[in-house]
Amino acid sequence: MLLPAFSLIRREYLRWIRAPTWVISGLMSPILYLILFGQAFDLGKLLPPGVPPSVLSSALSGAPSYFSYFAVGMVAFASVTAAMFSGTGIIFDKQLGILQRILSTPISRRSVFLSSLVFRGTLTLIPAFLVVGFALLLAHVPDVAGLTVGGGITVVDALQFVVAALVLSVAFTALFLSFGFAAQRIESYFGVVTILQLPILLTSNAMYPTSIMPAWLQYVVGINPISLAVNVMRMSLFGTAGYTYAAWVYLLGLLAWACLFVLLALLLASRALRSGGGPGGGSLSRAIAE
Amino acid sequence: MVDLVETGETPARPREVVVDARDLRMVYPPSKAGTKGTVAVDGVSFQVHGGEIFGFLGPNGAGKTTTISMLTTLLTPTSGRATIEGIDVSARPHDVRRKLGLVFQKSTADEELTGRENMLIEAGLYGLAGPDVSAHATELLTQMDLASSADRLVKTYSGGMRRRLELAVGMVHKPRLIFLDEPTLGLDPQGRAGFWRYIRSLRDSKGLTVFLTTHYLDEADQLCDRIAVIDHGKVIAIGTPDELKDSLGGDTLELTVAPGSPDPTPLLQAMPGVSSVTKVRDTYRVKCSNGESLVPRSVLGATQAGINVVGVTVTKPTLDEVFLHLTGHSYREEGVPNGPSSGSGGDGAPAPGGA
Repeated sequence: MLLPAFSLIRREYLRWIRAPTWVISGLMSPILYLILFGQAFDLGKLLPPGVPPSVLSSALSGAPSYFSYFAVGMVAFASVTAAMFSGTGIIFDKQLGILQRILSTPISRRSVFLSSLVFRGTLTLIPAFLVVGFALLLAHVPDVAGLTVGGGITVVDALQFVVAALVLSVAFTALFLSFGFAAQRIESYFGVVTILQLPILLTSNAMYPTSIMPAWLQYVVGINPISLAVNVMRMSLFGTAGYTYAAWVYLLGLLAWACLFVLLALLLASRALRSGGGPGGGSLSRAIAE
Repeated sequence: MVDLVETGETPARPREVVVDARDLRMVYPPSKAGTKGTVAVDGVSFQVHGGEIFGFLGPNGAGKTTTISMLTTLLTPTSGRATIEGIDVSARPHDVRRKLGLVFQKSTADEELTGRENMLIEAGLYGLAGPDVSAHATELLTQMDLASSADRLVKTYSGGMRRRLELAVGMVHKPRLIFLDEPTLGLDPQGRAGFWRYIRSLRDSKGLTVFLTTHYLDEADQLCDRIAVIDHGKVIAIGTPDELKDSLGGDTLELTVAPGSPDPTPLLQAMPGVSSVTKVRDTYRVKCSNGESLVPRSVLGATQAGINVVGVTVTKPTLDEVFLHLTGHSYREEGVPNGPSSGSGGDGAPAPGGA
């Protein structure tokens, strides 16, 4: 039965449409990175004059400029930043007793989790696409670097880009949702999220090419879900030259991360939603009873 | 003369058992290894009949909310058995959830949504949608006097409006049984009396069975058809408010005579309805079933016997006295544990309603 899950999605949608502030807070960092960091930190300017553009382009896996290379990374970063807010709703629902009321209805526990994942995962895509639009727009502003893409982008390329963004969104939405289900208080939730945010970003190839990193870091960066998504997205826009594997290999790796995070979230959610029993469920049911 | 509900009145039709609890126990797992778990509910048994307002009366931490949580499938009982309309709550929780409505202590409506949206989303959680459901939601909102504010955000509602909305939301899937956990907590006396009216109107118009918990003695007395008194996780008495009060031996008439007057005890004991007479200085305390009618009779009789009566009072028994009688401690001395193992869920939490 889809109606119960749809009702929960509708509730989240109505709440969101009336107070979409988190889109702004989620967009803030990526936009600042685009208009400040991305403009200032132009690696291409470090090359001595006379070096052909192809040298830079090959170092940046086919991207026409550093900013274009960087902007795609920020698309992924925008998704992850937006996903960081995914788990907050469930904590407030727990604290306000709304979750308990939902659990007293016949809706299945899995629907509670899946409706959150679907809605939040979809929302997370919005900032990602806004960043794409914003970066493309910057290219038309004089004296400002912007995202430029080659002419040969096919429908398949565009689709590949969207799928990568979607899987990345789902993966991180599930991860942060699982924190939300596990955490009892908003402070502990944001504690964990804040600790994770920078390491996740800095161990990816969102901001700089893997080739300039030390070998040990390259291994970590290679399996970072952000890197995997960014690889696929860059291949869609700038071509596949310079990559070790085909796009579907990276996509498969990303999918594996998404599955892992969804499973983790399912586990933590069902533990938190189970009445009585284990530690997670026990504390919730104790909270219900007191 | 105060006209109370007729004692022991039961309708002639056979009473359907809607809630049947048998020896329910809930022991919360210990928070630290090696310590004993907390016994919140310690073997309660009772039945709730169709169409009645059944009250679970007890101080904070007595185990009321834990009992509701078990009956509404939010908690699995440690032992014992409960059925709702014949369906076992542990074996078929999913089916039980369809049968009942539940109103929590705290307001659980979504503040950012309107009253009507809250209703329709709740209906959706039960798999209900469409014009019939909308019409029923409107009808309930109207019955709760929320029609004019149905499309306002809940965050603009007053405390009383929120409680009424909770009641309406709990009724959206047309349950025949509703659980209300401390329904009037935090309302002022006027708001509480008003809320009782809404509960009664739902019961009367829809034949609803109401199970409510309360720690207000007057609420149990005036709203409930039957009461179970619970303390430290155990049901210590069940009956109509009047039955419980009558169990104390009825009214108390206190006759004060002038010093040096003859002893009226033999005279009083001979009067109909009198069960005992005890003397405290110049005051004679008469336990009787009919306090008011004994006033003229005792004064007249004593005067005729040459006894100078200087004062007379009649006290009706209160549930507070019932509670004192049953537990040995006064109602407001909340959370006084009898022993180390009898502490219950909310003990030591002075805030009303617990955490």
